[in-house]
Amino acid sequence: MKKLLKFIKGYKKESVLGPLFKLLEAALELIVPLVIAALIDKGIGSSDHGYIVRSCLILVALGAIGLAFSVTAQYFAAKASCGFSAAMRSSLFSHIGTLSYTELDTIGSSTLITRITADSNQVQTGINLTLRLLLRSPFVVFGAMIMAFTVDVQSAITFAVVIPVLSIVVFGIMLITMPLYKKVSRGVDSILSKTRENLDGARVIRAFCKEDEEISEFRERNDALTAMQKFVGKISSLMNPLTYIIINLAIIALIYSGAIRVELGELTQGEVVALYNYMSQILVELIKLANLIITITKSAAAANRISAVFETESSMKYGDEKFTGLKDGISFNDVSLCYKNAAETSLSDISFEAKRGETIGVIGGTGSGKTSLINLIPRFYDATKGEITVDGKPISSFDKESIRSRIGVVPQKAALFEGSIRENMLWGKADATDEEINRALAIAQADKVVMDKGGLDAHIEEGGRNLSGGQRQRLTIARALVRNPDILILDDSASALDYATDAALRSAIAESTKESLVFIVSQRASSVMHADKIIVLDDGKAIGIGTHGELLAACPLYKEIYDTQFGEVV
Amino acid sequence: MKKNSSLGRALKFIGRYKLLMAISAFFAIGIVALTLIVPILIGDSIDLIIGKDNVDIGKIVKLLITAGAVVLLTSVLQWLMSAINNKITYNVVRDMRNAAFQKLERVPISYIDTNAKGDIVSRIISDVDIFADGLLLGFTQLFTGVLTIIGTLVFMLIIDWKIALVVVILTPLSLFIAKFIGTRTHSMFAERQKTNGEATAHINESLSEQKVIIAFSHEDESQKKYDEINDRLKSSSLKAIFFSSLVNPTTRFVNNVVYAAVALAGAFTAVATAGAATPFTVGTLTCLLSYTNQYTKPFNEISGVLTEFQNALAAASRMFELIDKEPEIADSESALDIGEAKGEVTLSDVSFSYTKDKKLIEDLSLNVRDGQRIAIVGPTGCGKTTVINLLMRFYDVDKGSISVDGCDIRSMTRRSLRKNYGMVLQETWLSAGTVRENIAMGKPNATDEEIIAAAKASHAHGFIKRLKDGYDTVIGEGGGSLSLGQKQLICIARIMLSLPPMLILDEATSSIDTRTEIKIQEAFRTMMKGRTSFIVAHRLSTIKNADVILVMKDGKIIEQGNHSELLKRGGFYSELYNSQFAKI
Repeated sequence: MKKLLKFIKGYKKESVLGPLFKLLEAALELIVPLVIAALIDKGIGSSDHGYIVRSCLILVALGAIGLAFSVTAQYFAAKASCGFSAAMRSSLFSHIGTLSYTELDTIGSSTLITRITADSNQVQTGINLTLRLLLRSPFVVFGAMIMAFTVDVQSAITFAVVIPVLSIVVFGIMLITMPLYKKVSRGVDSILSKTRENLDGARVIRAFCKEDEEISEFRERNDALTAMQKFVGKISSLMNPLTYIIINLAIIALIYSGAIRVELGELTQGEVVALYNYMSQILVELIKLANLIITITKSAAAANRISAVFETESSMKYGDEKFTGLKDGISFNDVSLCYKNAAETSLSDISFEAKRGETIGVIGGTGSGKTSLINLIPRFYDATKGEITVDGKPISSFDKESIRSRIGVVPQKAALFEGSIRENMLWGKADATDEEINRALAIAQADKVVMDKGGLDAHIEEGGRNLSGGQRQRLTIARALVRNPDILILDDSASALDYATDAALRSAIAESTKESLVFIVSQRASSVMHADKIIVLDDGKAIGIGTHGELLAACPLYKEIYDTQFGEVV
Repeated sequence: MKKNSSLGRALKFIGRYKLLMAISAFFAIGIVALTLIVPILIGDSIDLIIGKDNVDIGKIVKLLITAGAVVLLTSVLQWLMSAINNKITYNVVRDMRNAAFQKLERVPISYIDTNAKGDIVSRIISDVDIFADGLLLGFTQLFTGVLTIIGTLVFMLIIDWKIALVVVILTPLSLFIAKFIGTRTHSMFAERQKTNGEATAHINESLSEQKVIIAFSHEDESQKKYDEINDRLKSSSLKAIFFSSLVNPTTRFVNNVVYAAVALAGAFTAVATAGAATPFTVGTLTCLLSYTNQYTKPFNEISGVLTEFQNALAAASRMFELIDKEPEIADSESALDIGEAKGEVTLSDVSFSYTKDKKLIEDLSLNVRDGQRIAIVGPTGCGKTTVINLLMRFYDVDKGSISVDGCDIRSMTRRSLRKNYGMVLQETWLSAGTVRENIAMGKPNATDEEIIAAAKASHAHGFIKRLKDGYDTVIGEGGGSLSLGQKQLICIARIMLSLPPMLILDEATSSIDTRTEIKIQEAFRTMMKGRTSFIVAHRLSTIKNADVILVMKDGKIIEQGNHSELLKRGGFYSELYNSQFAKI
């Protein structure tokens, strides 16, 4: 949590002045009972109209000054909390930008999104309330007690007893119910996941005629949740009656002891009223404090989660040699990759050479390590064993920007971003001309897509959801081609295309990338069979490297894949 | 749906707890009355504390004992009332969720297909909560609030009508101010909401595709865009938070002014009536001051409650939209249980579309004899699942008819129709439970031997044995840690166990490793022996061996025939077929 404190630094003045003005306001509130006491004893007691009017004007003035103080405090608190959270979010966003694939895998993008949205908001609310109330409520509670002592020490002892008792009740109930509420939210989760499951599996459930069983299972979980809610409800609804009893019994005790003291002439009627008023102030503030503590606990938890992201550092270090273009090729020497927290290696002892101008096919089943293999080339991950060299130099000796900008990657999942088609194409090359873009679109068989959508300025919605899967794939391929990369990587990126388009695409790419090194990853034998070199992966091992003809003869798995896709009934 | 009618519908759910509601209301009245008596008793006691040697301790003790008794009684009633209110609230919530979930199991599949899942989930979960918070808790708050206002007003009028008038006239001021600030800040909140939406959209997009951003070194551009939105968010939040936080201090100020006014009027009256037969005493003043505090408080709460009310009604109407959804047309009284079918399927002149303006299947006729294989082919997303939807009667045909063994599927029970189909889809679905329970889904009374035999026949036995607890391994929701291929093998075992006369199979395209895939194909082959099978096919070998190939494109069936017929025709199918072998 300490890491986050630096974001409040720019708001030191606000963070001090906010609580200060709140305290001033609270102090004014504590004066009110004294004014009323004087009003009763002096004003009414001696029928002094002038004194009464003055007292009431003082009350109004106290209110007005209190209003001004409070508004000032709210302003400082709002400014500090909004400023804090904006600075924190911006820094968090940029920190996430520095993380590598390994960290992104470990944390997960949905978690990161929650951190920067919901958690940040929670922290902002927590800071705002803390600045406003954390000092104020205890101040009023103890202030009321101290004021009571100044009025009459003997009567004030009631306060010294009541405050701890009330605190025990208020905070005790809060402490007991907090974990119970967590249980309730787990109960809600359980009916939520049942609902989700039934939406995802609607067809299967109906195909097996399981509707009634699902309903009764839902009811069971729902009943359990309801029982839990009622139980917590019973405990937390003790709060009001208990505090009501304590405060009123205390008032009764106060008046009884006050009566005796007045009889003895040691106290006045007005002072008894003042003590009564102080007692009433305590309860409201204690309840506010209890609620505040709940909010602060939640915010602190959120702050800790955010800190954890800040503490995650990128595990990838870059050299500073500029990469000026692929001259010779890439070679893998006994490369193994074991993902963080994974029990087994995803790639083991892979060695091959890939020369400029070649097309390399990578084939294998899911989980065989195809994507892992090609992810090593743009250095999304680092090999955990062995070495990858580019033009004879270790890949880690190159500067990040210069090598990435020479590689065009088309990931498996075709992701586009909100904006125009042109903006999306410029991702590949920031200063690309329309000719360059159109050329890339033509190779990717995407020119028709652009035409259908209404040209390069056509709008693409968030995630490209106004496009079909095939249209998205073609545009992502074009995006990678815009930069005219030295190394082009197609990771199973034509799966949504029909066979005819797929074939046209492959021949256009082959035509235009004669000078480049192309990696094609696929599950379809038809996509890789014409490559210069095919790497057959199974369970992270290269069990065959060679041309289509060589592999058919020498690699049983390759033949098996080929036969299941092309062969007659096996 | 109209808000009024959703209120009416909500009342029906609450109506079941009429008696409890009545008791709760009765208690509320009691509590308010008792709470109002306490300040009078306290005030009376204070009046007896006049000065040195002028205190009637005996009377005070009596008054205080009465006050103590009233306080105790109030607390007990308070506790009972909240217990009752909790019971009503949580029971209503439970009933509504049960009703909503039950409806979910009965609505036509089209409802689930056409509505976002998150949206449906939120209707059942969060909308019900919003409703409960807003309407039920809000209602009790409103009820006691109004009672308190009325009660305090009556008591104040009895004690001193002139001072009561001061309170009545001044208090609404705080309401006006709250409303004034509320309408002014509304647009600020809207602005903040909008900016927040923009920020969230950008975050969502960038973070879920962070890997692409890294691949294209686009971090700086993305940061620049975020900072720009974030800055706007900061200033709009500041405005919204600050201005809305003015409500509290200003209403408090108004209350303070009212308080001062009562003190002024009270003190003057006290001075004027000193020595009169019914003097306005200091005790009366304290009592009035404490009423003033009680009277103004509910006003501040009520304006909050009213907004929550609006939200609650909106949430309720969203939820009732689901609860009131038309269920699937029920099976008719005379619907047949066809028992075990032979497996002849006839589609005659079937037309179907999901939406009226987009025609999909038109005049499709197809005769499938028992034991035949039908391959459905076409590019991804061409609507192959539509055919499955019609066969399983997840959707009804618009025109024409589908019959099994010569009997229209609309004249048999859905249950008996669906029991005759075994379905293995690519999107495998396992329920949270053990492997055994999942396999036995179609035949809950299956013996262990039958289950293991089915698993062996579908080549799932091997990997199941290697799982931590074998057949008793609990798989999490959606299949948890199993690989896609393993999940599909369990789904096949599930069908293998009951082995219905007709099959609907979906060949995997990409998600399964080669070895498992070969096993799956073998399992498919075993299953299909002698059974009518509809296969969404991707593999040439499957397609070539099919008795009939349905070629689909853009949701329509454009060609129909066997492999050699279709090749001869030289249409879309032959183009597809040839492109498989095209050289790059």
